[in-house]
Amino acid sequence: MSIKVTGVIERKGLGPGTWALVADSGETYELKDAPSELHKSGLKVKVQGEVREDVMTFAMIGPVLEVKSFEVLGSD
Amino acid sequence: MRKFLLTCLFVLGLGFALFNFKGLANQGEFQSIVLDFREDVPAAEIAEEVSAIAQQYNVNPRLNSEFSEADHIYILEGDKRLLSALKKSKLSKETEFIEPNYVYSASEFPNDPEYSKQWNLRSINVEAAWDETKGSGVTVAVIDTGISPVPDLKDTKFVKGYDFVNDRIEAYDDAGHGTHVAGTIAQSTNNGYGVAGVAYEASLMPLKVLAASGGGTVADIAEAIRYAADNGADVINMSLGGSGESKLMEEAIDYAYQKGVFLVAAAGNSSQNSASYPARYPHVIGVAALDSVGVKAPYSNFGAGVDISAPGGSEAGKILQETIDPETNEAVFVGYQGTSMAAPHVAGVAALVKATGVKEPDEVLSVLKQSARVIKEDPLNHFGAGHLDASAAVKLAVRGQITFRDFFRWLRDNGYLNPRFWIDGGTIMLLPKIGMVIGSYLLAWFLRVYFPFSWSWSLTSGLVAGSSGLFFLRGFYIFDLPQWPFRVMGSSIPELGSAVQGSSMLNPIFASVLIPFILVALLLGHKQWKWVAIGSALGVASCLAVSAVVSPSVLWLGSGVLARLFLVANALLCFGLAYLASKGENQPA
Repeated sequence: MSIKVTGVIERKGLGPGTWALVADSGETYELKDAPSELHKSGLKVKVQGEVREDVMTFAMIGPVLEVKSFEVLGSD
Repeated sequence: MRKFLLTCLFVLGLGFALFNFKGLANQGEFQSIVLDFREDVPAAEIAEEVSAIAQQYNVNPRLNSEFSEADHIYILEGDKRLLSALKKSKLSKETEFIEPNYVYSASEFPNDPEYSKQWNLRSINVEAAWDETKGSGVTVAVIDTGISPVPDLKDTKFVKGYDFVNDRIEAYDDAGHGTHVAGTIAQSTNNGYGVAGVAYEASLMPLKVLAASGGGTVADIAEAIRYAADNGADVINMSLGGSGESKLMEEAIDYAYQKGVFLVAAAGNSSQNSASYPARYPHVIGVAALDSVGVKAPYSNFGAGVDISAPGGSEAGKILQETIDPETNEAVFVGYQGTSMAAPHVAGVAALVKATGVKEPDEVLSVLKQSARVIKEDPLNHFGAGHLDASAAVKLAVRGQITFRDFFRWLRDNGYLNPRFWIDGGTIMLLPKIGMVIGSYLLAWFLRVYFPFSWSWSLTSGLVAGSSGLFFLRGFYIFDLPQWPFRVMGSSIPELGSAVQGSSMLNPIFASVLIPFILVALLLGHKQWKWVAIGSALGVASCLAVSAVVSPSVLWLGSGVLARLFLVANALLCFGLAYLASKGENQPA
């Protein structure tokens, strides 16, 4: 299921921590294998990717979004 | 006849249970006996008695300490036989009491220097559990990011595991998560180094299914579950989760469960109603996280799928274990938070329970649930059966598993007086609810003495709506459905104001004469519907009166005299309203 999500990158401190995309809609996605360009809290981005229902994680903060492509819109 | 036989059996069973119930007082250990002479017995006579005892029983009574002289407290070596001999002798007339000098011992306190920072272990009462068992002989599989051999796992036993991510036998950690989780379960303890773990004599089985980035596939996890079940694991901990349901994984879970494995999983960290998978599968125990003061951690999931709660930590206080720093791969003591940290507490206690001899997963679960510290006010199911209690769980397990006696005790303590016995969730105070319904009928009956009317569906539904609502609905938690509609349908009129946000305090706007008044004003002209209004006024009167006595807790007014006065005044107003509305009504409704 390929989707486009616009939101802000956040570092979530659960366990060792994980990178999350908090969408403008309020939903929190856990970024799977986020490219290092996205490892920056407060970055406003548009991500195209796939929600991986077959993947489980230790962060458990929301749907797992595997990044296919992204576009940096700015930073807070 | 059958009923009679069953009753006889029940009474017999009950008598047997009570007869065999030993109680704590008969279980203590003592090697000496206390004699407390009466204050009015002269000192010379006491000295005489003491030397007489010394000769007769060949013992050496002495004052307990220099402070004992004023109270005439003597100690002498002796066992049960001497105790009963002394109690039967004429000495008993000159003493206030003769009793065993029980030995009280402090629970084991580990020598790990950082133990004092592990508030989580104290909050689950693990020290007293260690008096009974430390988990020896039990294997806990940790399905996670792997386990690295950090120094504080040096004395911990391991069995062979597997790395399903890289397909090799060594399942080392490259993220830091699995080693931390393993530490909570079985960190080397009493080794004079670092921190402690819950079941530190249990063996760990490292199964790596999550990559360094933190994710793994359900296919790998399902294989790991089967591997654990086939290779002698007794408990499986899964501090992981996702949103997708998987038949493959469900089958693997059922397979492990059939083999007697106890499966534990984290409830998830998205702060939502309903646990994530795999916690929500049947036969998997979902664990919600608590912070250091025992309230739900802000991130923890709740509601359906949460079976029990355990410490997971929060920003204010995290769970400290030794793990690796994924950047440098070096051992480091670090505090994590998450339901990932809560689940291994339950897995560790399950290992302790299994070590006592309780093997079947259903029995282990029932021990954990019955021994959990019940949280009375839990309308959103933050805590499941309650807060995990290692000591109570192990003691319950040791006491001869779940015998009729324990069941009876549990029934008495939590069972029939607690709605949890009938309805999962335990959010409903059943007795007050029944009181409210009966009270409303009594009020209606009372009113009928003055204004004869006949019972009707409209009056009855008014009585129920006003007094208790369809209260049994409140215990319903269904996956992925919001719980508030059940709370609303399960609420009486006075409780509606607090039902949506799930508070247990009454909202004074709803818990007052206001709604019955509006209903009466609107419906008084209608022949049948007016009885709904009158019934609701009586029901509300009963509900408020019972609340005023049982739990007077009103928003903005507190739980004291003010709240009581408010509730009583409104109950009277409601009754007065019903009285006025039914006045002059002599024909059947």
